[in-house]
Amino acid sequence: MMKPMNIAEDKLLAWYHGALDGAEAEAVARALAQDPAAQALVEDWRQQDGALTALFAPVAQEPVPPRLVAAARPARQAGGLRIAAMVGMLAIGLTGGWFAAQLSNGATKGQSRSLADAAIAAHETYVVEVLHPVEVAASDAAHLTGWVSKRLGHQIAPPDFAAQGFRLMGGRVLPGGTGAAAMFLYENDLGRRVSLYVAPTANGGETAFQFTEAPAVQSFWWTDRDLAYAVVGDVPRAALRAIAIAAYDQLI
Amino acid sequence: MNVLDEIEASIPALRRYARGLTRDREAADDLVQDCLERAVAKRHLWRRDAPVLHWLYRIMTNRHRDDRRRAGPQLVALDGLAEPPSEPGGQEARLDLREVQDALLRLPLDQRQALLMVSVEGLSFDAAAKVLDIPKGTLMSRLARARAQLRLLTGRERPGPTKRRAK
Repeated sequence: MMKPMNIAEDKLLAWYHGALDGAEAEAVARALAQDPAAQALVEDWRQQDGALTALFAPVAQEPVPPRLVAAARPARQAGGLRIAAMVGMLAIGLTGGWFAAQLSNGATKGQSRSLADAAIAAHETYVVEVLHPVEVAASDAAHLTGWVSKRLGHQIAPPDFAAQGFRLMGGRVLPGGTGAAAMFLYENDLGRRVSLYVAPTANGGETAFQFTEAPAVQSFWWTDRDLAYAVVGDVPRAALRAIAIAAYDQLI
Repeated sequence: MNVLDEIEASIPALRRYARGLTRDREAADDLVQDCLERAVAKRHLWRRDAPVLHWLYRIMTNRHRDDRRRAGPQLVALDGLAEPPSEPGGQEARLDLREVQDALLRLPLDQRQALLMVSVEGLSFDAAAKVLDIPKGTLMSRLARARAQLRLLTGRERPGPTKRRAK
């Protein structure tokens, strides 16, 4: 039976992958020369890497399928994108503005503001619906989360605003030019409704909460990494802010 | 080379990584296509602090993880898995490729990602940690666990009193 090795395995692994600097690397190399168990382990790792390389290196030598080359090249026709944006606007009214802005010139400063506009438009379109305010009801929460996450390409579960007195009614996916957006609708005991709008954003990064007022409603909005969010409602500013903070905290 | 050219030049490496994540050829190329489309649409999000390829690895890692989450619990066909090798592999015996591939696919996803990034894609610990969005220490422990598991699954380390614990 071989004696157990004397070198710490994590240090040996770092040495093996060239992650140690001069003096430390030398010390490990010296210890290794005296340590048959460690030598055997390193030999195993070499064999693992040899096998993995033999398995996967040839993949990179294969001819690239045409569909992948095509996927790496953007559609050259800007006109096509613009038409898509127009269709989006026709289909969903004002909400298209956000996507049209996003499509026309890439990331721009006005973009986030357009998000608030889109969120407000979506809110005003659906909040008045008595019979069909949402497409998927809160009673089917798992389906709602799965559906929205799939369409937006991000894991998104509707946040809980119970502490703010609002319960989830459900949600819907809204069409967009470059990606789908989602809206979750909430209601309190008095029948007041607030919505949370989530859309992929092109400019990324994080922004502070911003506030926007429209004639009938107000909105707090922000961006966090790849997604932009807006809460919209006809509730006092402080209450809306509390909801926005709750959403921000839960949507990490 | 502009970003689009670099994205296109990355396809072979992306296919290699995808094949390590998912065994099925078509599914792997679907993953590559999804990643490319996303990268092209979001190319202005690439920050110059990392190579385009590393940014693409990162997108693919996230897409793959999202796909799996969406698909729900993973079912692994039993007949697709190698039985633990019946003959103990000696130090001199070379590893059987098929056996290694089966073992790789049995690793927990986070360990497999760490191993592929470092061993197959050749990234440094720092670069791999950045791609996988984890601290360097986490990357190292996942890599160590992946290697220990692989030794176990390929019969290099036999269960028993001499077994080194896979933390």
